[in-house]
Amino acid sequence: MYVIGNIALYLGIVIAAYSLLANIIGMIKKDNRWLESARGGVLSLLFVSSIAAALLLYLLGTSQFQFKYVATYTNETLPLIYKLSAFWAGNAGSLMLWAFLLCVYAAMVVFSKEKRNPMMPYVSSIMLVNILFFFTVMVLNANPFEMTGSIPPDGKGLNPMLQNPGMVVHPVTLYLGYVGLSVPFAFGIAALILKRMDAEWIKLTRRWTLTAWMFLTIGNIVGGWWAYLELGWGGYWAWDPVENASFLPWLTVSAFLHSVMIQERKNMLKTWNVSLIILSYILSLFGTFLVRSGILTSVHAFGDSNLGTYFLVFMSFMMLVSIYIVMTRYQLIKKESNQVESYFSKESSFLVNNLIFVAAAFAVFWGTMYPLISETLTGAKINVGAPYFNKVMAPIMLSLIVLMAVCPLIAWQKPAVDKFLKSMMWPLAVGAATGIILTVLGVKGIFAIIGLSSASFMLATHIQEFMRGTSARMKATKENPWKAAYRLTAKNQRRYGGYIVHIGIAVLAIGVISSQAYSKEVMKTVNKGESFTIGKYELTFNSLAERMKDGNGIVTADVDASYKGKSIGKIMPEKIFYETWPEPSSEVAIKTNLAEDLYVVVSSWESRDKVTFLVKVNPFVSWIWAGGIIMLAGTVFALFGGKPTLSRIPAIAGQKFKGR
Amino acid sequence: MKKNSKILAGLALAATAIIIMLFSTMPSAGSKEITITDLSENAAKYQDDYIMTQGLLKKETVKWDADKLELHFDIYDESGKEIMPIFYKGVKPDNFSDDVIIIVEGFIQKDGVFHAEKVQTKCPSKYEGKDYDEEKHKEIFNDKKQ
Repeated sequence: MYVIGNIALYLGIVIAAYSLLANIIGMIKKDNRWLESARGGVLSLLFVSSIAAALLLYLLGTSQFQFKYVATYTNETLPLIYKLSAFWAGNAGSLMLWAFLLCVYAAMVVFSKEKRNPMMPYVSSIMLVNILFFFTVMVLNANPFEMTGSIPPDGKGLNPMLQNPGMVVHPVTLYLGYVGLSVPFAFGIAALILKRMDAEWIKLTRRWTLTAWMFLTIGNIVGGWWAYLELGWGGYWAWDPVENASFLPWLTVSAFLHSVMIQERKNMLKTWNVSLIILSYILSLFGTFLVRSGILTSVHAFGDSNLGTYFLVFMSFMMLVSIYIVMTRYQLIKKESNQVESYFSKESSFLVNNLIFVAAAFAVFWGTMYPLISETLTGAKINVGAPYFNKVMAPIMLSLIVLMAVCPLIAWQKPAVDKFLKSMMWPLAVGAATGIILTVLGVKGIFAIIGLSSASFMLATHIQEFMRGTSARMKATKENPWKAAYRLTAKNQRRYGGYIVHIGIAVLAIGVISSQAYSKEVMKTVNKGESFTIGKYELTFNSLAERMKDGNGIVTADVDASYKGKSIGKIMPEKIFYETWPEPSSEVAIKTNLAEDLYVVVSSWESRDKVTFLVKVNPFVSWIWAGGIIMLAGTVFALFGGKPTLSRIPAIAGQKFKGR
Repeated sequence: MKKNSKILAGLALAATAIIIMLFSTMPSAGSKEITITDLSENAAKYQDDYIMTQGLLKKETVKWDADKLELHFDIYDESGKEIMPIFYKGVKPDNFSDDVIIIVEGFIQKDGVFHAEKVQTKCPSKYEGKDYDEEKHKEIFNDKKQ
């Protein structure tokens, strides 16, 4: 099996190099047979990488400890699901996953119905360069099929913090997102090389970009959820360099998703769009580079390895090539661009949206890299932590929310200020009412109140948009409200999918603002039978019990909880002593409802009868996860809405006409 | 001036405002990253700075007062020469074991004790790093058998 695995890796390099060459020869000679052969090469790459991936899964699942990777990340008693998900617990496996996904995507692109498109050989070549890089790094630096000297009796086991359902979802979705970005990147570059400056590449890759964005969203939110459950990672978001690295491409892709609409409709912002997708792709590599290189002090960085150097070199190479191509085509792009027709139009509002996203990305990037920047400039390494990010990002995100609140009301092209002000009245009133009610209720914190008001303002705008659209359709077609609402959204899936995503963001924002501003925390050492309070909760410590499960020792604290004097049942926070790990890890117990989470950790104990607890009350955290689910639903909805918006306008107009 | 250029000028203005905001928050919201050696040699110099430092935990020095919720421990740098005593009002983080890398943020006091406001652990073998140590795992394995 050692042989099969390594043959697969070497074959990966050989086939990728061959297909790349075949593409180039095919393009120069304009010979379809060479291009056909390269297509075959991509298919064989998919085959080879599937074999390698399946083999690694099999080795992990059957605990073949003669393989170093298996022995380092799993052990005999680990549940099967974590044995398998140890696939991406280390460098070698993560690279393998990346290479495998790249091959899957490349095959999907190359064999799509656009396979005769003249851009395709270029797209295929760019993806092959990526594939070649990953296989080469695996062989040179992080081979997942490396053997141990002698077969150990048991493996080292998986880090307890990684033994969480989050481990199954979070890394894969992030990789799906990162890798997905290489497709629109490849198309963008191909379009530039061929000087095809229309929006074709954008239309072809809309679904790819949206899918990648969706996976990045899921990855980030599941990551937050995971961190929230594992104590010591401090809440759901800590502005750690590694977290920022996955947030950066999300921000730039979000900007891209909006600005491409302008290029599709108005033939503007061409350089900008191509630069955004290049930036997003480079940032996805940059994220991996940050995680692997250990150049920044992070709580969850991988250990130092020279893998970072490989990524740095590859990233710089791709960046230089991209910049060169953009520069050489710049004049051409400029010549074919249109002008903005009005200051107060959707186009301008999208420009502001892009500015905010890019500013946000820059602020995050700046803060993340500041230790390195300050070290170069002043000699002292200065880390900027959560305070910096909160201070800088809060106003940026607030302006984004306000923009989202007004944006759907602004018309394309022509300035319609009166109409805009009129339609803004109700949502604005809802926002103001929220602020007033919160103040009357005695809620403190002016910034949080402003934030919550803005979020409800934005929520109201979007709900109003749904209602307005539905009632317009009802008038036109005499349909009942449900049917009208359904037809309306089904006819404009891109638009309303986007609105649903916005609603998800409003819900998420409410969760984030409230939990950041109004979280309470109590640390307390109590004796058996003793009670303590946090907010309106009262907790009574009953006993500490010990049991064994799957070879791990589990210590459970039995706590009675009551809210405003009424019992809400037992809470059982745990500490698990993993047989393969020197220190126990905490299993948080959470009582959750719509309004708040009661979050209980058993921190340590002096004896069976004296235990220290860490208790938090985090308001509206469940809204964050709910917002994430709404965002996901909206994205999926938008994904299934296909054709570009332009071709639709006459169709809808025709329908309305028929209705009358 | 074309409308495009005017809009671009407006956006550039807004971008400048944001960048100014970035720079103005920067010094106040940061922590200086200093090595333990530097910190213990120049304790007086860094007294007013919010500092981040890291070192390896000496397990036998951990003193935990459950009633007061106070934690004392020492960390040392990799050469083993310098030792930095840490005081933290709060609970032990997970993974608080011997030779684990501890990242602390806080202020150095006149008596040379570092008062941490934040304590985090970073395990070098958390994801990757040390090679598989067969001897060590034979030990763990044997311990389990007994």
